[in-house]
Amino acid sequence: MILWLSGLRNVLRHPLITLLAVIGVALGVAVVCAVDVANQAAERSFLGAAKTVAGKATHQVVGGPRGLPEDLYRDLRVAGVIPASAPVVSGPAVFPGRGGRTLQLVGIDPFAEPPLRSFSSHFSESSALTTLLTRPGAILLLPATARELGLKPGDRVAVQADGVRDLVVAGYLEAPDELSRLALASVAVADIATAQETLGMVGRLTRIDLVVPEGKGGEATLRTIASRLPPEAAVIPAGARAGALEKMTRAFRLNLTALSLLALVVGMFLIYNTMTFSVIRRRRLIGMLRALGVGRRELFAMICVEALLIGAVGTAIGLFCGNAVGAVLAKLVARTINDLYFSVEVASLPLLPGTLVKSAVLGVVATLAATLPAALEATGAPPRAALSRSALETRHARLLPVAIAAGILLLLAGAAILSRPEWGIPGGFAGLFAVIVGYALVVPGFMVLMARLLRPVMGLLWGGIGRMAARGVAVSLSRTGVATSALVVAVAAGIGVGIMVGGFRLTVQSWLESWLQADVYVRSADNSGGRIRPPLDPGLVERLRKIPGISGYAITRRSQVEGEDGFTEIMAIELPRSTFVRYPFKEGNPAEAWKGFLDGGGVVVSEPYANRHHLPVGGRVSLRTRLGIRSFPVSGIVYDYGSDTGIVMMGRPAYLACFGDPSVDGMSFYAAPGGSTAQVAEAIRERGGGSRIAIISNRELKDATMAIFDRTFAITGVLRVVILVVAFVGVLSALMAMQVERARELAVLRAIGLTPGQLWGVVCGETALIGLTAGLLSLPLGIIEALILVFVVNLRSFGWTMQFHADPVYLGEAVLLSLAAALLAGIYPSARIAGTSPGLALKEDE
Amino acid sequence: MRRILLLSLLVVALLLSLFEVRRQGRGARPEAPAALSVAKVLGGAPAAGFSRALTPRTFSFPADHGPHHGFRNEWWYFTGNLQSADGHRFGYQLTFFRVALAPGKVERASHWAANEVYMAHFAVTDVGGQRFRFAERFSREALGLAGAGGQPLTVWLENWSARETASSPWSMKLTAAGKGMAIDLDLTSLTAPILNGEHGLSRKSATPGNASYYYSIPRMKSTGTLRSGNRSYQVSGLSWLDREWSTSALEAGQAGWDWLALQLADGRDLMFYRMRRRDGSADPSSSGTLVTRGGGVLHLTREQVRMEVLQWWTSPHGSRYPARWRVTVPSQGIDLEVVPRLADQELATSFRYWEGAVESRGAGGSPSGSGYLEMTGY
Repeated sequence: MILWLSGLRNVLRHPLITLLAVIGVALGVAVVCAVDVANQAAERSFLGAAKTVAGKATHQVVGGPRGLPEDLYRDLRVAGVIPASAPVVSGPAVFPGRGGRTLQLVGIDPFAEPPLRSFSSHFSESSALTTLLTRPGAILLLPATARELGLKPGDRVAVQADGVRDLVVAGYLEAPDELSRLALASVAVADIATAQETLGMVGRLTRIDLVVPEGKGGEATLRTIASRLPPEAAVIPAGARAGALEKMTRAFRLNLTALSLLALVVGMFLIYNTMTFSVIRRRRLIGMLRALGVGRRELFAMICVEALLIGAVGTAIGLFCGNAVGAVLAKLVARTINDLYFSVEVASLPLLPGTLVKSAVLGVVATLAATLPAALEATGAPPRAALSRSALETRHARLLPVAIAAGILLLLAGAAILSRPEWGIPGGFAGLFAVIVGYALVVPGFMVLMARLLRPVMGLLWGGIGRMAARGVAVSLSRTGVATSALVVAVAAGIGVGIMVGGFRLTVQSWLESWLQADVYVRSADNSGGRIRPPLDPGLVERLRKIPGISGYAITRRSQVEGEDGFTEIMAIELPRSTFVRYPFKEGNPAEAWKGFLDGGGVVVSEPYANRHHLPVGGRVSLRTRLGIRSFPVSGIVYDYGSDTGIVMMGRPAYLACFGDPSVDGMSFYAAPGGSTAQVAEAIRERGGGSRIAIISNRELKDATMAIFDRTFAITGVLRVVILVVAFVGVLSALMAMQVERARELAVLRAIGLTPGQLWGVVCGETALIGLTAGLLSLPLGIIEALILVFVVNLRSFGWTMQFHADPVYLGEAVLLSLAAALLAGIYPSARIAGTSPGLALKEDE
Repeated sequence: MRRILLLSLLVVALLLSLFEVRRQGRGARPEAPAALSVAKVLGGAPAAGFSRALTPRTFSFPADHGPHHGFRNEWWYFTGNLQSADGHRFGYQLTFFRVALAPGKVERASHWAANEVYMAHFAVTDVGGQRFRFAERFSREALGLAGAGGQPLTVWLENWSARETASSPWSMKLTAAGKGMAIDLDLTSLTAPILNGEHGLSRKSATPGNASYYYSIPRMKSTGTLRSGNRSYQVSGLSWLDREWSTSALEAGQAGWDWLALQLADGRDLMFYRMRRRDGSADPSSSGTLVTRGGGVLHLTREQVRMEVLQWWTSPHGSRYPARWRVTVPSQGIDLEVVPRLADQELATSFRYWEGAVESRGAGGSPSGSGYLEMTGY
């Protein structure tokens, strides 16, 4: 009982130290929890969206960019091949007068829907269905979406899809559950006739959803369907789509998880440091208790229970904060997925049990694990040794070479793992973590070295005080070693991620220079930033082809062909040769590739596409076209940072022949020599005929693209800041606790004549030295991490080649950050010791 | 006329069903939807812009076998009792409902644009196998998915169809297939179309226009194949065709109706419907037709026909239906006990009702017979 009371008193008498320990645990747990929440929210949202949209469909009949002929559906139904099937016509539609918001216009046949979906047959008023069917242009929206757009039933609204058209809100959609509500937030439901007319899809269907029973009968049905399909169509399992979405974003989400684990490693170091320290601090007490006859086991239990309590409280706080931060992160994740992959609405979802358990176990177990070595050591030592601090320091000093050796071994192992490209993304991260931990183990050794090297310098600068500070670092390695390692790991992570993103940004900037060559760009007035844009009015395209004052133009169309293994993004272009040959080719000869490019003699693929499909120049890309499966030789590989799934670039005539899709979603113009960009833009405006289009100059487009890039990496930036904050607070707490614990030692110094000012010098000098050492030591690790991230992890995850650019800003920032944290950590203990009388401080002992 | 109610119910039920009933697959017994109160579903003024059945008209065949697009509702209602050579008895129902959602068709670019919707019910009663199967389908009248018309006439919803095969005598081929059931039947008229009500104008209330045009072909010789479960049977028997079109509103205070169509052994055919008021009494608009052997038509009023419930049956969905009737037309020497060939012939479709094959046993010299019974609002 007395033992427990002593434990309790220890906690109560040093609230600050206890608080810091709790903060250390909370921070680690919060970061992991936040990223997990964000990831889960994103995943659940897009899987939910895929499910809501697919409903109970087991299979889907999909076609090319222009979808399927509608007669196919009629023939399948009238032949009685499959009764449970529903046609869908969908595409993006921009609401120009409503902030350029883009909704997915989903056209359905309500009579075919009930076996498939619940949302599309769930109307708040029965009259809405009649209106939907009989009134051209009628749409249904979720009440929330309608509110956002400032619409109510009966309102007319102009939308732009295939030209501009007026739609009318016929009523509200009712979402049967929360997931559907999310999925439907960016959807306008219309009758299939309205959708065809609005999207320029008359005669065509986007897909047919099927419910095919499992087993032999189902297989026979599928075979019958397959035998009736035109060449451009295929039957794919409905799960394939959700699977493809999942696969598309897997690398991205894996990277986020890895970043959160990086934060956790930092957090673990902090927890370890905190708990080790909390035991070491009480070695005297432990020694005394042992001398008084308290059993090893009891003591051990006490320490563990204490650690558990701290772990539990810290975990609880961490979960709370993590959940809150996770909600913010979820929005950022959604935006990135939106920019990079596909439209998805993400709302923060209630904390999932999985996340809860994972984070909680992590927090408590990590705390306990971090306590164990110190607890074992302290309770295992003979009472006399436990009382003596020097014994501990000697042991630590003896352990130093072992740690260094282990560290070097780990570094080598990390390098070995990284050199195996076949181990993929997990291999990349495993290597990265091995390098980090290995480096962290070597850090104390470096520190002793640094302290020795700096001692003369500091002595020269501040005399005896400076030398004392330098010695202090080296001799109290048990306290400073782990703290410094933690600081190094944390700061280096900040550097690594910073350099990686900075380098990527530079890469994209220089890529844009060669990618965007025209002077003026025209596209639909769509602010969603989604990858697949609504097409431009065909009449407008024809008018703009003939505007005066240009030396040339290019027209583009991005579309997707869906197959079992996901979407293939195709970019169809008609462009001048001069533009083509200046594209940033990675492989292949532009002049050679140009020959036959327009008529389909060859396609150019982007670097990620080539990497994913292991395609060299001369390899072949197979696509399902309306002429059947066609294979095209790859005549070149270009750098492209727009899509990590990759794109296939094809000449427009070849695209028209293969897919019969005449739509255009972007045009670009080159001013004639002597003409100006402004003149071209003016000519476009004149010929625009009131069409709602965006006319964008080269500069603006580059800026807009960079803005999207920055938005995409906002999440990474936030995580980097989180890591830095964890590092900062962690080091602050570790160093502060260390100095607070030294109160007695410092009081002795005061008693033997150190002035308060000199005391400040000793304390702050020591923390500053640790800070500086850590800052400097983090530089190489940070750069190594950046190299691994750029050349291993990102290349394997996304297939992008990036420039490496170690921006001195990140390096300087890191050193400053650690110095600032360290100095700040010195202030409170210095002020406290300086302000109390040495006598009192000496009495204050446990 | 009773079908006017049924159809109006179905129009609303169709709409309701689309947001109330969610069913997996077809023909499967769905979850019982919240019971639709007939009175709740009825009501509502007829939409403007549709033609109304105001005065008797001149019927012209074969044109009137085809659709009447100016009216809001219309149907082709085939029911029949069949028998295989080895004595297996069957009943079947194949019904096509045409419902106009708005008067007049708007010219639109999309081929999906439609102002009419088709609904079809298909049911097979396997008397020996004690199985009743049914299925329901909806489709818009567009793209060739469903429709009616042409010369010779075709009425179809996907692969369920009724096709004219000969004009004299007027013959139809019925084809439909569902889970565990299929029919492929050739129907040949044995009588000319019989005009019900006042020369084919079947009034429902004192309100002018609250009426339908209603004719029947009570006897159609039927032969062909029928599949129940995994077995196919060569069958033959008699079918009954009911045709009705209208733009009608419904009177308040009616709870449902009981409709009976019997081919009697002496060659006469009896059709009678009893409009049931909420208090259980028969509405004055209840009426019927008796067709004599020679094709003579006798209009029957509420007072001339007595329908009495002798026994009740509770369906798995909780509705309680009459299970045995005594039907008498004293002036015509008809005294029948009408018994369902299978107790459970309830269609748990968007709008739940009982429609099934019955046999009638004559008493006191009255001829016996067989036919179909329809009961709604229970």
